[in-house]
Amino acid sequence: MELAGVGAAPGIAVGPVWRYASSAAGRGRPSLDIRVAAELAAAELMALAGRVRASGRADDAAILEAQSLMALDPLLLDAIEARAKSIPSPGGRPMATGDRADALASIVEAVAGSTADTLAALPDETLAARAADVRDVGARIARIVTGRVVALPDQPAIAVADDLPPSVAAEIPDGQLLGVALERGSATSHAAILARGLGIPAVVGVRGLLAASASNIEATTVALDGDAGRVIFAPSSDELAALESERRDREAAGAKARSLRGQPGRTADGHAIELLANIGRVEDADRALEAGAEGVGLFRTEFLFVGRSGAPTEDEQATAYRKVFAAFGERPVVVRLLDVGGDKPLPYLRLAAESNPFLGIRGVRLAGEHRPILLTQLRAIARAGAGLASVPRVMAPMVATLEDVDRFRSMVDEAFADLDRSGIERAAHFELGIMIEVPSAAMMAAELARRVDFFSIGSNDLTQYVLAMDRTHPELAAAADALHPAVLRAIRMTIDGARAGGIEVAVCGELAGDRIGSLVLAGLGIAELSMDAGRLDAVRFELQQRSFAELEQLAAAALAAGSAQEVRALVRPAR
Amino acid sequence: MATSLELQVENPSGLHARPAAAFVRTACTFQSDIRVANLTTGSEPVTAKSIIGVLGLGVQRGHRIRLLVDGSDEGSAAEALRALVEAGLGEAELEPGSARPA
Repeated sequence: MELAGVGAAPGIAVGPVWRYASSAAGRGRPSLDIRVAAELAAAELMALAGRVRASGRADDAAILEAQSLMALDPLLLDAIEARAKSIPSPGGRPMATGDRADALASIVEAVAGSTADTLAALPDETLAARAADVRDVGARIARIVTGRVVALPDQPAIAVADDLPPSVAAEIPDGQLLGVALERGSATSHAAILARGLGIPAVVGVRGLLAASASNIEATTVALDGDAGRVIFAPSSDELAALESERRDREAAGAKARSLRGQPGRTADGHAIELLANIGRVEDADRALEAGAEGVGLFRTEFLFVGRSGAPTEDEQATAYRKVFAAFGERPVVVRLLDVGGDKPLPYLRLAAESNPFLGIRGVRLAGEHRPILLTQLRAIARAGAGLASVPRVMAPMVATLEDVDRFRSMVDEAFADLDRSGIERAAHFELGIMIEVPSAAMMAAELARRVDFFSIGSNDLTQYVLAMDRTHPELAAAADALHPAVLRAIRMTIDGARAGGIEVAVCGELAGDRIGSLVLAGLGIAELSMDAGRLDAVRFELQQRSFAELEQLAAAALAAGSAQEVRALVRPAR
Repeated sequence: MATSLELQVENPSGLHARPAAAFVRTACTFQSDIRVANLTTGSEPVTAKSIIGVLGLGVQRGHRIRLLVDGSDEGSAAEALRALVEAGLGEAELEPGSARPA
């Protein structure tokens, strides 16, 4: 019997069914003191958090830590105790321990449930996940009160459940979970994120899953395809054979992609496309190198500036930049100047409130009133670049006009002069670049290209500004597609301008790591693609499957298309 | 004599999940009665020692909150919470959704 859901984590798994329900249970010793039960629940959750953190899943650990606070929450416990006073003592005699435990447990679940409902009803969508966390905590305390325990899988198995709370998933020993099928949940739910982290398939939002599971109760085997979003109870031998051959095909494709690591990016006929990584922390450098990055096309520096009460010192910044430069040796590293603004403020920057931060003071526009913070950063980069094998490449975000470039240059000159006055060693020079992410910059590309050494197209913001659509808007996000021909034409303009000025153009937005996007960009003549390190294998592989002439034809057809859907339809599915 | 202070919450995800936990954990280390209200939404004050209460304030980035601290260690409690909020509530990095990737 086959059901359809949303593929939330890729892969194929076949294995025994492990049915999970929050009330599931064998009996142990009940614990009638609600405070003691809550303390126990909190302690269990903290222990799980520690284990999860040790295995490198800091986000999951944070949820469990927040849940341990929920277990001891005074609002929750006070409400439970108030209701527990009303548990009747029939005929003046004390109730049997088991009955009393059951009564207390149902109060715990009822209070946690209504508390969760209150949270979920607030006009803040992110609270829905927290509401589920509160319900989960209530279920755990109730289990302790009644002495029940969740029966964990006793062999590697596939979880079939309404939802799988992180606190239960964390209790399953490593290697015992082969896959996850959920009636509820979405691709962004915790269980989906967990599955991707563990590298196991997940299919979520499977309507009718629990009913099917109940009516196939004798089914001991279930198969999941996390790419296609399929769940098959009691698969036939034909179905199993088909899944197995599919799994082998995908594995071979993945292994082939990995085997290309260490090779530079190129098309089937040897046209070079440099494949670079985007990094946002010093530690990302290792991951990028391991994935075969030919350099860093975008080093975001915001990590140094956020989550603190004052700006980082010049020394602190220089140390961080030096580490990344050293890790990449002769390979290029493009450092982007601090990119903040009214939409992502820093408390110590004291930016004025703006009615439309996306069109306000952000990126290089800080060079007006907030020039000192950018000067400090430029001095730090220049110091880190002293005696380096490669020339530091520095780029400014949010450039809209030629004057923005002039201000950027004058800041670099001033930073160099400051260091020289103090006799501090520095890089002899920078290669200066700008982000092309504002339509005016694409239109003025030829003029801008005469003033800088390179361009890097920020396709995410360029898409938002070209289409006037917020990529995080719930109703517009799907239409704010960087493959829209309008965006591709802005990229075409940028490339033409760059050619006229004799400079290179890179793309460092998500489009560069998109399967179709990378092919179209290469065909348009982009010679450097910078992406999340996790995308490098796939893009390197895709490029090698096609000749440059094929990619040029694809790009020409994409430019002539009428919508992003038409562009996507131009590329056959993989294999 | 209670101590009262107003703060602006500037970290990317406001008082959600992890930052809320950091806030409540700090509040719980003090004896004083600590109450917190969301001035931007005009919410009723709740105890700062309840994570469920604090989450329910729905504090988002840019919202202003008011703390009312009353007790033997109110000075150090107010100072600790102010420092925590101003330092971004332990959010060391931009949240994925809020960072302009490129």
